[in-house]
Amino acid sequence: SRMIKSMAVAAAGRRTTDLGDVTPHNIRQLRTLNTVVFPVTYNDKFYKDVLELGELAKLAYFNDIVVGGVCCRVDTSQDKRRLYIMTLGCLRPYRRRGIGTVLLDHVFKVCKEDGKFDSIYLHVQVSNDEALSFYQKFGFNIKEKEDRYYKRIEPADAYVLEKDASELVSSQLVAC
Amino acid sequence: ALRVVPSILSRQGMSKSQPLPPKEQTLFKRVLKCYEQKQFKNGLKFAKQILSNPKQSEHGETLAMKGLMLNALGKKDEAFDHARRGLKSDIRSHVCWHVYGLLQRADRKFDEAIKCYRNALKLDQENLQIMRDLSLLQVQMRDLEGYRETRYQLLQQRPAQRQSWIGYAVSYHLLKEYSMALSIIEQFSDTQMETLEYEKSELFLYQNMLLVESGQHQAAVDHLEKFESQVVDKISLLEAKGDLLMTLGRQSEAALVYRELLERNPENILYYRRLEEARQPATVEERLAIYAEQIEHRHSASLPRRLPLSFLTGEKFQGFLDAYMRRMLAKGAAPLFKLLKCLYSDAEKVQTIEQTALGFLESLATCEKFSPEDADSDIQPPTTELWTLHLIARHFCYLHQWEKALEYINRALEHTPTLVELYVVKGKIYKSAGDCQKAAECLNDGRMLDTADRYINCKCAKYMLQSDQVERAEELCSMFTREGSSAADTLNEMQCIWFERECALSYQRQGQWGKALQKCHEIERHFVEIFDDQFDFHTYCMRKMTLRSYVELLQVEDKLRSHPFYFDAARLAIEIYIRLYDKPLVAQHSVDDQLAEMSEQEKKKLLSKQRKAQKKAAHKQQVHSGQDKDGVKKDAKEKEVKQADSEKRESGKDQILLPEELETTKEPLEEALKFLRPLQTLVSGRVETHLLAYRIYCRKKKLLLMLQSVKRAAAIDQNHHELHEHIVDLALAVAASESLARPVSAILRTSLLALLDAPDVYEFNSQFRSTHAKSLPHLLSGTYRDRKQLLLCSERYTLVQVHSIYNCLYELSVESQNVRICCWG
Repeated sequence: SRMIKSMAVAAAGRRTTDLGDVTPHNIRQLRTLNTVVFPVTYNDKFYKDVLELGELAKLAYFNDIVVGGVCCRVDTSQDKRRLYIMTLGCLRPYRRRGIGTVLLDHVFKVCKEDGKFDSIYLHVQVSNDEALSFYQKFGFNIKEKEDRYYKRIEPADAYVLEKDASELVSSQLVAC
Repeated sequence: ALRVVPSILSRQGMSKSQPLPPKEQTLFKRVLKCYEQKQFKNGLKFAKQILSNPKQSEHGETLAMKGLMLNALGKKDEAFDHARRGLKSDIRSHVCWHVYGLLQRADRKFDEAIKCYRNALKLDQENLQIMRDLSLLQVQMRDLEGYRETRYQLLQQRPAQRQSWIGYAVSYHLLKEYSMALSIIEQFSDTQMETLEYEKSELFLYQNMLLVESGQHQAAVDHLEKFESQVVDKISLLEAKGDLLMTLGRQSEAALVYRELLERNPENILYYRRLEEARQPATVEERLAIYAEQIEHRHSASLPRRLPLSFLTGEKFQGFLDAYMRRMLAKGAAPLFKLLKCLYSDAEKVQTIEQTALGFLESLATCEKFSPEDADSDIQPPTTELWTLHLIARHFCYLHQWEKALEYINRALEHTPTLVELYVVKGKIYKSAGDCQKAAECLNDGRMLDTADRYINCKCAKYMLQSDQVERAEELCSMFTREGSSAADTLNEMQCIWFERECALSYQRQGQWGKALQKCHEIERHFVEIFDDQFDFHTYCMRKMTLRSYVELLQVEDKLRSHPFYFDAARLAIEIYIRLYDKPLVAQHSVDDQLAEMSEQEKKKLLSKQRKAQKKAAHKQQVHSGQDKDGVKKDAKEKEVKQADSEKRESGKDQILLPEELETTKEPLEEALKFLRPLQTLVSGRVETHLLAYRIYCRKKKLLLMLQSVKRAAAIDQNHHELHEHIVDLALAVAASESLARPVSAILRTSLLALLDAPDVYEFNSQFRSTHAKSLPHLLSGTYRDRKQLLLCSERYTLVQVHSIYNCLYELSVESQNVRICCWG
């Protein structure tokens, strides 16, 4: 009937993505997320430090549910000042919807606003093709390979992906 | 509480029997002024000066004023002392009587207070202040005749004050003498006293209320139509109009009014019901049309999309449900199950819901659409699948299919482990299946995800209490309560009754009777407070002219203890008191006797236990008087107010509730009866009330009252299993009793004959068992009686028969009960 059709028309799903801060109240959500998404387990100290990261740590909300997150830190090794992405991920059912892009865009924004970073870099497990193609799309290049980077998972080798901070231009939104 | 300082200043004339010399007169005037301005310490200083004069050391009115100010500072005993002295010294002073009355009122001795006021009035017949205080107390105590009298006197004294008229009218309303009330209001309106637009509007609506209550519907409608333009509360106006038109049978006009109301608010279920009544749709289509209109008109309204589900059937229902569920699942509406719950009494609809939901799930999991036939533009985000899983889990949980429910909720948790609602559902599944411990764990897992969310915190606390982890629950609640005092105290102050009830139930399960009773009494006190709190509204509502709300408030307060919270607390308290009567706890002094025989170690243990209990009680007293040890970060002013307030509350209470005292009471049945009485008056429609009453009366051996309870219970639910036990019990008790007076035994035997409807008790019992062969509680009741009889007179049933009954229980397929059958051995 016509009425039923009119009711069905309004059934199109909503899709909203937002970023939120990591606080002592919701840190457990980040922890649950990371435990499910990453093969590496992070310890209590990691999460204690995350609370001090400010804008370097964010939660990603899809339709008001936490589905992803990013944690970075300032790395001063090798006589350079670099932004290191420790974790960036999203729950499996929510991938390939631009959530990773939103998270990475945030990292770029932080980097640009700071203005004093040399580059952004991260580690990716050599078998993780999805992640490799994702970062390469955004202009990250494989710098080197670190053998036996991971202690408890196989393959234990990881690529170091890096992107020069100077390459960040005003709009970085790349459609997935 | 004495929040408003009652005025004493209406007659500054000194007592005729004890006149003061000029110096003291000035001081006394200062005393009165200090009191009015709440400067109690200063007032006391001046009073002291008067009393230091040796000739005036027992001046009645000064002593009375001193008492009044001491009471305001929380020193109740001293206050009473002084007031009594003052009264003794100057018994013909209306001030002394007035003050004494005020103190009695503050101490909740209302009947005494009324007596004092009356005495004061006798001595000073035109004292308005005393009259007003008396009238407030009379309406508070529902002495309606007295209230009317006093109101009349007030009207005579102050005909220019509009409160006098209003109060007089209301006093007739409360006595249900509508014609008088209406004529007074009319006279008042004619006097054209200064009123604001809102007040005038409220007065019209109040008049209308009187007309409706007195049954003059036509006059009421005419009245509404005449003064429509002056009424500002349009919704009340329309609702009243709609009601009246319906009563008068003017359906089509009523329908128009309800349509207009729906324009204002399409989410009010009452309007839809009334519209249906007015329109009288003959077919399902016509009925549906009412809702279709609203759906088209107001796209965002959710109620008209849901209500038709309750009367549609078959294919129409299926289609409508499908569309509704799609909308809600796509929206991510968490309460979808709750909204559909009302349909679950219909087995066919339950099937349809299940099939639709499972169908959606399969399709969403494979092609991300509600149905494979959907257009690609209707592809759903992953959250739709998530909420569908959530719904299905709740569905199976409700149907008691635990494994299936767990299967789906675990799927949902795998999908999105960060959604708090999923943990709540998982906990609910475990709780329904009987594992309260695991349920509490699940809730806690969910709670930890968002520790800023008070809802999940409370829910988790509740589950903790239900798994008997009381300290943990208190710890959780303290995350959201004020610092400086314990969570239990703060929640008590905030009248958080759900918490106290769950604590009480938990303590009962753990056999900690005293603590459970303490909580029950705390809940009872809240009800006393809620009743007392209406006091200020007697003046406030008159002043603000919000008379409809005022009268409704009085009606609510009259039925206050019919609230389920009170019922739960009362039932629990009664059950515990009955148990304490059957198995009294060992009292303290007999323990002392045993002390001498104990070893040193045991003695030390016992003494330290007592010391801890005393310390706890002392600490509680401290907290009550606001002297917290851990640095309290409050305003000094706030603290003072709180202190004064809690002290005032304390002065109104008889004593602090100590668990040890409560559980060793000498009169458990009397205490139980105190809880029972409001239930008998206000909740006489519930069978449990009468069953509880029976259990008390049978221990007091009051056969006639036992019979009364049984008859009342039978009138409500003849087939109740506990009722059966009581009837058998009563029959046996009557048969066994010999020394009954003839009229009593006659009544008992005739009534029992009617109840039993069988040749004898045994026959009655077997009939009962066979009628209710499929219900475990009934079988247990039926069997228990037999077993008891078997022990007493082993002639009716052989051991074999008894065994067969027990076997029957084991093999029985019990209808919808998850009970583990334990061996009775």
